[in-house]
Amino acid sequence: MRNEVIFHSEALEKEGNTLVQMGFRCDACGKTSYPVYELCPFCSSGEGSKTPLSNTGTLFSYSVTRVPVGPFKPPIIAGYIDLPEGTRVFGQIRADVKAVKTGMSLKVETGTIWTEKDGTEVIGYYYTPCGKEKGGAE
Amino acid sequence: MRDVYTLGTGQTIFGKHDNKTVNELGAAAAMAAVRDAEILPKELQTAYCGNIYGPANVVQSTLIRLGIGKIPMYTVENACASGSSAVHLLHRDIAYGVCDIGIALGVESLSAYNKKFGKGLIGIEGDMQAKLSLTMPSFFAMLCNRLMEERGATLEDICYPSIKNHKNGVTNPFSQYKKEVTFQQIMDSPMIADPITLLQCCPQSDGAAAVILCSKEYYKKFNQKTQRPAVKVAASVISVGSAEDSSCDPLAQETNIRSAIKACEIAGVEAGKDIDVVEMHDAFSGEELSAYEMLGLCPKGEGVAFARAGAAAMGGRCPVNPSGGLLSMGHPLGASGVRVVADIARQLWGEAGTNQVEGAKVGMAQMLGGVLSGVDSPVVAGIQILTK
Repeated sequence: MRNEVIFHSEALEKEGNTLVQMGFRCDACGKTSYPVYELCPFCSSGEGSKTPLSNTGTLFSYSVTRVPVGPFKPPIIAGYIDLPEGTRVFGQIRADVKAVKTGMSLKVETGTIWTEKDGTEVIGYYYTPCGKEKGGAE
Repeated sequence: MRDVYTLGTGQTIFGKHDNKTVNELGAAAAMAAVRDAEILPKELQTAYCGNIYGPANVVQSTLIRLGIGKIPMYTVENACASGSSAVHLLHRDIAYGVCDIGIALGVESLSAYNKKFGKGLIGIEGDMQAKLSLTMPSFFAMLCNRLMEERGATLEDICYPSIKNHKNGVTNPFSQYKKEVTFQQIMDSPMIADPITLLQCCPQSDGAAAVILCSKEYYKKFNQKTQRPAVKVAASVISVGSAEDSSCDPLAQETNIRSAIKACEIAGVEAGKDIDVVEMHDAFSGEELSAYEMLGLCPKGEGVAFARAGAAAMGGRCPVNPSGGLLSMGHPLGASGVRVVADIARQLWGEAGTNQVEGAKVGMAQMLGGVLSGVDSPVVAGIQILTK
């Protein structure tokens, strides 16, 4: 049997058979934060509800790292993805580097993001392009 | 609040000192500062030390080498703004009458860190975004991309601070690098995170810096260097970021802007007019280019024009990093926030040698620290304004 772990305990929650990025929608200030903390990081209210983040967003800015970082081999494409609810998520982008542009639409996926030496698969989220793109600087 | 004066400064050469412990490095800087201030070590009433990766009790194990004990001592961690925080807390103690004289120290050995953890890009341990590859270069690469998209910066503009600061560092006896670099050499160096190449990044460094501050009463009684103009730390501000959302922008770093505005208010100066010299956190060349407007040296959106006009160069309206900055001097993380204050003091004393900004009366020392999940980055900004 495959051994699997989630890369960061607060990052993903099981909902049925799928893993979702669980956020917190605050009733007091209306903001959605991620991951879920003890209180709303914007206003310290505890009133609100856990809610899965939108699964699509817009690329605010990105970087292409050309040297290894931890378990990741270059090139590492990663950026800030802004969701419709106003939440900013940092994640890696799996795409042809030439096709990545700020302002592009991305959708979240989950799966193995690296494999440990003992074969343990580390599960996380990443983004892939979706839809037709226009504009943005390379 | 009482006025706070700079009495002495000291530092080691920044660079690779893999045969020296953090205690040896710290003690060398503290010795230099005590000698510069012409006081006995026993005069010191408190000590703060900026440090990130050192062992426990780093300030006590350093200062006992000078026979300093029994006084309150604290090691302060605030990422690259650790040294700024040490200066800030010492300033606060003296301003509020807790003590009359003390030392702010900063020390770091990246050689020791690398022996423990191996070389490579450093993310913040345990942080969610760091686990997904967020590092300082990747954050500042996003900032550079924003500079090109939103401010019309070219690659030449992005590389300009590195060219300027390496040139400044050539004549600085404390500098890690003493060579100039060209645009072509910068762009030919290995790519780290597009468009940031190796020569747009500060090096990893070992070193220490120290500043001795005191009250007006103490200064009047004990200052031996009467030829020096009296230099005050007129303002000291530490700002911390808040929760991050899609309105945040690396080109408008809230902590950086807020601390600059507040420090100028406290010091009663206008950044774009009165500040004669700046020493700042240029961990990446594009970072300095983005900072001119955030620090108020020029109007919003005009940082690229400010640089192109030569305003940040030696002989310009407000030279930035005449020391060579982190890019050329080096960046022993916990020490840099103290080093920038020491450099500004030397500028206002007129003791900066070939790196002297003629007639400097007001100077700003700035540091930024940390990129984290969920917090508008950089996480901490520290600013001191010195006047004479």
